[in-house]
Amino acid sequence: MQRTVTSGPATGTAEIAPAARIIDGVKIYGTGAAAVRALDVISADFTASRFTAIMGPSGSGKSTLLHCLAGLDRLTSGEVLLGDVRLGDLSDKAMTLLRRDRIGFVFQAFNLVPTLTARENVVLPLTLGGKHPEAAWLAELVRTLGIDDRLEHRPAELSGGQQQRVATARALVTHPDLIFADEPTGNLDSRSATELLTQIRRAVDEYHQTVVMVTHDPRAAAYADRVLFLADGRVVRELLAPTADRVLDAIRELGPE
Amino acid sequence: MWRITLKGVVAHRLRYALTALAVLLGVAFIAGTFVLTDTMNNAFNGLYTRIYQGTAAVVRATQPFTPPTNFTSQRQLIDASLAATVQKVPGVQAVALDIEGYAQLVGKNGKPIGTVGNGAPTLGFAWTDVTALNPFRLLPGGQPPRGPGQVVIDKHSADVGGFTVGDKVRVLTQQGSRMYTIAGIVTFGSADNLLGATIAGFDPVTAARVLAQPGKTNAIDVEAAPGVSADTLVTRIQAAIHTPGIEVVSGASVTAEGEQTVHQDLSYVGDFLLAFGFIALFVAVFVIFNTFTMVVAQRQRELALLRAVGASRGQVLATVLGESAIIGLIASAVGVIAGLGLAVALRAGLAGLGISLPGSGLVVSPRTVLFGLVAGTLVTLAAAIVPAWRAGTIPPVAALQDAAAEPRQPSLQRSARRLIVGALGVVVLGIGLFGHTGYSVPLVGIGAAAVFIGVAVLSPFAARPVCRLLGAPLAYSTSGTLGERSAMRNPSRTSATAAALMVGVALVSMTTIMASSVKASADSTITSALRADFVVATGTQAGGSGGLSPNLERSLAALPQVSTVAGIRSGVVKVSGKVTPVVATDPAKAAQLVDMGVTQGDLATMTPAGIGVSTQVASSQHLHLGSTVAVTYPTTGTKDYTVQVIYSVRDVAGDYLLPLAAAQANFPSSLDIAIMVKLAPGVTANAARPAINRVLAAYPNATLQDQDQYKASQTQQYNTLLNLMYALLALAVLIALIGIANTLALSIYERTRELGLLRAVGATRGQLRSMVRAEALVISAFGALEGLVLGAFFGWAVVDSMRSTGVTQLAFPVPQLLIVAVIAALAGLLAAIAPSRRAAKLNILQAVTTE
Repeated sequence: MQRTVTSGPATGTAEIAPAARIIDGVKIYGTGAAAVRALDVISADFTASRFTAIMGPSGSGKSTLLHCLAGLDRLTSGEVLLGDVRLGDLSDKAMTLLRRDRIGFVFQAFNLVPTLTARENVVLPLTLGGKHPEAAWLAELVRTLGIDDRLEHRPAELSGGQQQRVATARALVTHPDLIFADEPTGNLDSRSATELLTQIRRAVDEYHQTVVMVTHDPRAAAYADRVLFLADGRVVRELLAPTADRVLDAIRELGPE
Repeated sequence: MWRITLKGVVAHRLRYALTALAVLLGVAFIAGTFVLTDTMNNAFNGLYTRIYQGTAAVVRATQPFTPPTNFTSQRQLIDASLAATVQKVPGVQAVALDIEGYAQLVGKNGKPIGTVGNGAPTLGFAWTDVTALNPFRLLPGGQPPRGPGQVVIDKHSADVGGFTVGDKVRVLTQQGSRMYTIAGIVTFGSADNLLGATIAGFDPVTAARVLAQPGKTNAIDVEAAPGVSADTLVTRIQAAIHTPGIEVVSGASVTAEGEQTVHQDLSYVGDFLLAFGFIALFVAVFVIFNTFTMVVAQRQRELALLRAVGASRGQVLATVLGESAIIGLIASAVGVIAGLGLAVALRAGLAGLGISLPGSGLVVSPRTVLFGLVAGTLVTLAAAIVPAWRAGTIPPVAALQDAAAEPRQPSLQRSARRLIVGALGVVVLGIGLFGHTGYSVPLVGIGAAAVFIGVAVLSPFAARPVCRLLGAPLAYSTSGTLGERSAMRNPSRTSATAAALMVGVALVSMTTIMASSVKASADSTITSALRADFVVATGTQAGGSGGLSPNLERSLAALPQVSTVAGIRSGVVKVSGKVTPVVATDPAKAAQLVDMGVTQGDLATMTPAGIGVSTQVASSQHLHLGSTVAVTYPTTGTKDYTVQVIYSVRDVAGDYLLPLAAAQANFPSSLDIAIMVKLAPGVTANAARPAINRVLAAYPNATLQDQDQYKASQTQQYNTLLNLMYALLALAVLIALIGIANTLALSIYERTRELGLLRAVGATRGQLRSMVRAEALVISAFGALEGLVLGAFFGWAVVDSMRSTGVTQLAFPVPQLLIVAVIAALAGLLAAIAPSRRAAKLNILQAVTTE
């Protein structure tokens, strides 16, 4: 089941090759007086098989960082590397195929296509590429995520928690190099949130997936292996082996907005 | 609230743009029709005024009734010697013989100049040296025609045929075919010809001989001496002539008569075209309804907010209605202007066909503008009523809820009401088609509209299963599946969108079925009734002008290869109060050439005092052998005939068959519209053809047709009309496609996030385009299928109602109908071009972060 990072020998300096890196990333929205520097010369590595949480106040650039890492948006300058692929060099089409094959997404809301059943949503990245899912892997995924009895339902017939778990199954189904989660628990009650975070954690531990998650919630961040704190488009602090309390402390230390 | 309404329109102008286009096209077509008919009316008015401007009085035979044909004289000839009597009346400045008749110019290639038969007329006339009484002007270098061998022709014919003064030209008249020397070329005022008619002018003696009868004239035109009024002159001439059967009228009243006839003819054309304009507007109703429904749903929060801050239900309703009124008004105004452009284009088209309208600008009457504005605005308002009502019922609390609620499945209770609409439509349609109410056209229109609406409101029930079936072939790809599912997501919306296309496809299918049935009926009649080996045809319809000189019939009869020849003549008469075209022939010969399904009596023994009637007329008017039928001719008045034959096949002669003698005595024209030929025993068609063709060589307007060619030529005449109707219905289909494009565009706007998600998880731009195309294809296929089914029903109903007119075969031309449906379905792809591009261009980030 396991699939290791196969991005080649890369530079050879790191002990474990990073699944993704951003180097001197700058993102400017708008022009002239209205220009906003969402990312301000930011650099970070995301090690394979690790779970990274990104935190920061509104406007700190955390969502922009996620979008640029995930190939949804392009940097104004600097570089994003996914394995050894420079995203800046890719055409729109190549970027799309990369997202389809090597990246998984879990958004806060509107995660699922309403006209497709849960099963069709899970396998969507595969069917878009004209591929069929491995039956055993799919069965294991939906069982682990506890959605095996909801597969023929439409999203409108699922609870919020179930919808997010379907989205998680979709993110995992392609064995992606990276999974990006943008406030995945933002719309969930605390029980559903706990369940979902446990599942994501298991994906890292059992399936060796690399996960990058943007969140506001210190308890959610505590599930990660490390937390990056962003402010004004830069990484201002890194916290390894976080707990909810340590995250709260860090936030307090960074000061109120 | 008015400011909010205005801002609503401005803010949603893009969403409303396509709706406005749908209204605009319908209004443009209606306005264009009005402008064109008004302009042509004006042109003809000018024409008649010009022809008779120097004519104070006209002396002519009286007419028992006036048949609805122009250009062909339907009066008895009068003695040309009367002119001398008229000339002596005090106050008469000059007189001219007004002789007119059939004269067909033949080009150097041996082909007739101008369109034969159904086109503009081929006129011969007598040249007069009295300038005031002559509407034509010689071009420099030409001379008036003198003697039996000279002619003047119109400039357009000269240009087309490559003729100059001094050339020889072949002219066909009732006297047969002969060559004339062109003495001059004439124009009609500034126009090169008379609205497309070809003109041949002879000196009065020659004209009388070749166009009328020696010593006779159609009328005598009179110029008044200076200071003598037309009325005075008319009174004086009346007193001087005082002969029964001859009347004297003023030039002004002749002008008025001509204009009246033209107005009537043009109003038929106008009504025909207007019907298609209304169909277009009707289709636009679906498009408008759909747009407003979607826009109201998308603006639910905004409208609820208005309610929350204190707007009443009525105010919200008025806001939406106000928006529709503004859009309707703007679209109609632009539509009226576009209509002018359309009229200009059509006029250019006519000129291209050789029909030159004498110098007159476009006529834009206040009615055109008013009608266009009112019709377009009312239609838009009417279509927006239901969505506006729904907008009014949005509760204020919706402002706080998530927008875009999932569509409800249509309820059974509402569907019962919908069923009633459809059923009522069928009933009204039935009454219109079969009810002989005298209001059949409006009833059929209203009934059909109700059926369309009934089907449209019922079809949401069928939309999901049918779309799944139609979309099944698309499911091989993910894009196809997604598109198909999107089409099924909101059955009401899909149905309303498809309904617009349904109307167009239904009308095209119905027309196709009608045409095929008429053709099949004609084919089967010809096969079973025609005993002749050949038909010599001219393309002239019964009651039309032009034809074949009786000399041709004599020449053909003289051939040894031929056993029986019968010419067929046509005229217009009035029988039991109804004006109808009739045909006349030699009954004994016809008996050998045509199987008319004689049920009583015998054609072979029919006398000049006899008449044949169809079984239908016999039963409806209680006629039997020996009954008397009074036939009124426009030329000679009422004559009585005895029923000697009753026949069942109406396709050859219609309801009445007159003996040849009746035509010779009473028809204004002595031309045959067709000649039937039966070969002598033992002579094959191929053996006879060369001999017959040698005789026909002198008559280029004649075509020799065997049975199959004759059948083909009979159906050919329907094809022209059919193609015209297809072209006109294309407008309705175009508007439906605009509707599909609009629905797709609005629904893409609604689904921004979903499309963004698809892009995020790896759908390429191409896949999104395919998805939108698949959705369009499913919607249009649904509409095409509905249209096909309804069209088959309408076709059946209409053909059944035409049974009494001889359309006895119901033909479903399956290949053509399938082609229509497939083209309509594929046209959905055209509608998807712009929306699919838009979907593909979508900024993913904007889509996934939209709040």
